[in-house]
Amino acid sequence: MESIDTWKLVSLSSLPPPVLVALGLALALGVGLAAWGVRRETSALRRWLMWSLRALAAIAALFFLLEPGVRRLQVARVKNRVAVLVDRSASMSFPVAPRGPTRSQAVADALKALAPQFEALKDRYAFEVVGFDPELSPVSVEQLASQSPPGSRTDLFSALRAVKAQDSSGARKLAGVIVFSDGADNVDLAQGLVGHARSTVESFGVPISTVAVGQGGLADLSVDSVKVDDFAFVRNSITAEAEVHARGFKGQQVTVVLRREGQVVATRPVQFETDDDTVPVTFTFTPDQTGRFVYTVSVPVFPEEAVAENNTRSFALKVIRDRVRVLLVAGRPSWDERAIRGILKQDANVELVSFYILRTTGDQVKADDKDLSLIPFPRNEIFQEKLATFDLVIVLNFSHDDPGTSLAMFQRDIEAYVNNGGAMAYLGGDRSFGEAPASPTPFDAILPVTTAGPADPAPFVARLTPDGQRHPVTMLASGSASTESAWAALPPVQGLNLTRPRPGAVVLLDHPFATVDGKNAPLLVIQEIGRGRSLALMSDATWSWSLGAHAQGSPTRSYERFWNNAIRWLVRDPDLTTLSIAADPPSVEPGRPVVGVVVARQPDYQPAAGASVHVELVRADDGQLVAEQQVVAGADGTVRVEFPTVPAGAYKLSAKATLGERALGESSDAVAVRAVGPELSDVRVNAPLLAEIARASHGAFFEAPGFSVGDVPLAEPPLVEVGRSKDQPLWDRWYWLTVLVLVAGLEWSVRRRFGYV
Amino acid sequence: MTMDLSRRALLLSAATLSGLARAFGDSSKFIPAVVKHAGRWDGRSSGLRRLAWELQGRTSIEVSLEARPIGLDSPKLFDFPFLYLSGEGELPPLTGPEVENLRRYLTFGGFLFADASDGSDGTGFDASFRRELSRVLPQSPLAPLPSSHVVFKSFFLLDSAPGRFLDKPFLEGAQINKRAVVMYSQNDVLGALNRDEAGTWEYEPSPGGAKQREVATRLAINIVMYAMCLDYKDDAVHIKEIMKRRH
Repeated sequence: MESIDTWKLVSLSSLPPPVLVALGLALALGVGLAAWGVRRETSALRRWLMWSLRALAAIAALFFLLEPGVRRLQVARVKNRVAVLVDRSASMSFPVAPRGPTRSQAVADALKALAPQFEALKDRYAFEVVGFDPELSPVSVEQLASQSPPGSRTDLFSALRAVKAQDSSGARKLAGVIVFSDGADNVDLAQGLVGHARSTVESFGVPISTVAVGQGGLADLSVDSVKVDDFAFVRNSITAEAEVHARGFKGQQVTVVLRREGQVVATRPVQFETDDDTVPVTFTFTPDQTGRFVYTVSVPVFPEEAVAENNTRSFALKVIRDRVRVLLVAGRPSWDERAIRGILKQDANVELVSFYILRTTGDQVKADDKDLSLIPFPRNEIFQEKLATFDLVIVLNFSHDDPGTSLAMFQRDIEAYVNNGGAMAYLGGDRSFGEAPASPTPFDAILPVTTAGPADPAPFVARLTPDGQRHPVTMLASGSASTESAWAALPPVQGLNLTRPRPGAVVLLDHPFATVDGKNAPLLVIQEIGRGRSLALMSDATWSWSLGAHAQGSPTRSYERFWNNAIRWLVRDPDLTTLSIAADPPSVEPGRPVVGVVVARQPDYQPAAGASVHVELVRADDGQLVAEQQVVAGADGTVRVEFPTVPAGAYKLSAKATLGERALGESSDAVAVRAVGPELSDVRVNAPLLAEIARASHGAFFEAPGFSVGDVPLAEPPLVEVGRSKDQPLWDRWYWLTVLVLVAGLEWSVRRRFGYV
Repeated sequence: MTMDLSRRALLLSAATLSGLARAFGDSSKFIPAVVKHAGRWDGRSSGLRRLAWELQGRTSIEVSLEARPIGLDSPKLFDFPFLYLSGEGELPPLTGPEVENLRRYLTFGGFLFADASDGSDGTGFDASFRRELSRVLPQSPLAPLPSSHVVFKSFFLLDSAPGRFLDKPFLEGAQINKRAVVMYSQNDVLGALNRDEAGTWEYEPSPGGAKQREVATRLAINIVMYAMCLDYKDDAVHIKEIMKRRH
């Protein structure tokens, strides 16, 4: 830092500033009184003469009060800082022009060319080259030329704020900012320089000069965005709105495809009218399964495109039930049928379709068909065409001995329905299990029990099994003791079909003393079968748990609670699963890890602390295993699994868990790893934004890196004292005192001459 | 006498055969329960038996032919979801426990079919039943059931509600949560089905005679069908076909 000699006028008075101010005011008052005293003087010349002399005398007096002097000092000019910000977002890897160098390379070349100019100004400015992605970090020309820009987003505003924040803490003051960027901001300035961002830039304090890196002319096709709700209702249509952006495809037509985990859902042709055209594409589709699925919107990849990865865009869609759709089939009217119908009809979350056999072929109605409200049982329509549309089928005491109503021919449909994820509740009675006139029935293979003889008609109080004490289906109160008491308080059930549970089935309620194969005869049994679930209740007299339970006067909702629990379990209510895995988030940006959160619970729904969890990440399209991990659940039954660096695509996260020897179940979720984030989805150069930033901050905008530093507005570096100063009084000269005496005397003489003294 | 014995024997043997064929207990069957009160409560026992017989023969409903007398204050009331109440002349006032028990029974799923055996209107059974029901269900007064009510299409398609009489062309009902928990006829519906000790029809329905008896039988069957299936025939899958037949 080179020093310079300089000087400045200073007051050497020892009087404190307030005293000096008071004396100055007194002098001003004196001048004012003088003017007031001569206001009636008729001669303007005299009036002005007297007033001027008084003013001169006052100035002379003030001179002596202030005691002026010259301060000689040595100063130096402080070198200021110029922040040269280089965009390090991934879009800087695009070429500046077709078959040209990358944008980062172009910046490197520009900085190399500017280096001599920076050198020439080094006494005044320190040019600090930093990259932003958007965090600031020093970057060299070599790095710019050789390393791919890593940033997943362009955040100009954040980078500028970071530069400004450094200004308050650094030793060198900021004199200006030079920004090299393609301007493809996809954060705060994505919609332009508006609002708070504009006001911040306008009050930035130093000029921000911007340099646009890149040109137009790149050909590219991209799926810019897909707007769709986070969830959809199964069997209800949903609309996904995609925007397809094309540069350099004027007049061409391409096909946009929507796929669900590899399977084509819909296609739409689009035509581009201009060289820079954005076309909205709407897909309306109807999910037919519940769960989370990865959908992908894609356009074809052409060889001349600047970037191929932005031609697809994936999203995860959670498909849920709007209402649980229940099919209730009753072999005849009964009080159980009535009680169950009453519950289902009151539940706003249930859509009930029911068919009861009101007349058998042996009944003589003694009336014409036109006098009857009976309709044919639409067996084919229900059990062949529409069975998959039901979440749950409840069959009550249904006989297959009547060819007019038998469901025997639908055995395969029924088995396929359950194995593919459907739910079945089968209730006993005098036409079911061992009492069935026709055996086997089409339901036998999917039921959790097999027949074990004729029914036992004696009434009995259902007994809760150890499994039943913890299972959500039979959980009538909080805690197993309360649940057991609630079941014990229910009225007896009259009649039990004798059955034996299948291997793997879980007995939740049984008979207190009737036995089958030496074990208590089951009353309520459940099982997982294929992807579905089934439940068997070996009685058609459980309505007594409803009406009969009120006989003693204390209201109870145990029957309603039991059926609500059973329905929720059967249709796999997410809250009633013992193992769940959820992708977090369900849509993963490129470069980010795939994360799954596993929650493992024991059969009694307590946290499965220490459960061994095996998690697999497989490709949704072909089921190929990508990665797997074995982890242990924490004290709360939860464990987080992370799969780093997963290639773009649709995946399924699958979890299996065991606690000791006991399996806790399986769960899966879908996750979409995006091919490109917003950063690489758009190849355009947003020069207008860069120009606007420069204009708002009084900087300069350059359309290309080739410019002169001399054209860049920069704040002047300040001067600071670097040596001792020396004061030299000016007021203590004899001639200044003479002037004061002469002026004061002359003023007094004139006033006296004109008669004012 | 011979005829009487043979009819009874026939009915009882049918019941026995039914029980043997379906040895599973009676609680899922239709069992008519009759309210015992201090008045003449059992005047329609044979009509009830006949109703059960008709149900057995014409529909898929499994029945127990013999009616079960039950007091309104009995906890056993809750074992029978269908309750029949009739009387000739004034119905004695219900006791407090009877009112309380019947209210709970109706509120939590029970069904009451009340039948004015005397065909009274504003007097006798009619006045006293209305009085007592207003004590049981003060918030659910009796009101005429419209012809569109599901009880008129629960099995047979009906456009009137006759019994032994046809004084009132409609049924009345008291509803809780859109469910008719009480149905009331002033036309002595089961009187049309009643037989005397000799086994002949006890009353000649007026004014329609045998045809009116058949309609009364169908109405009684529809009432039971409604009690067991609720609004099943209001489901969308039935409406189109029913509308076609009605026109």
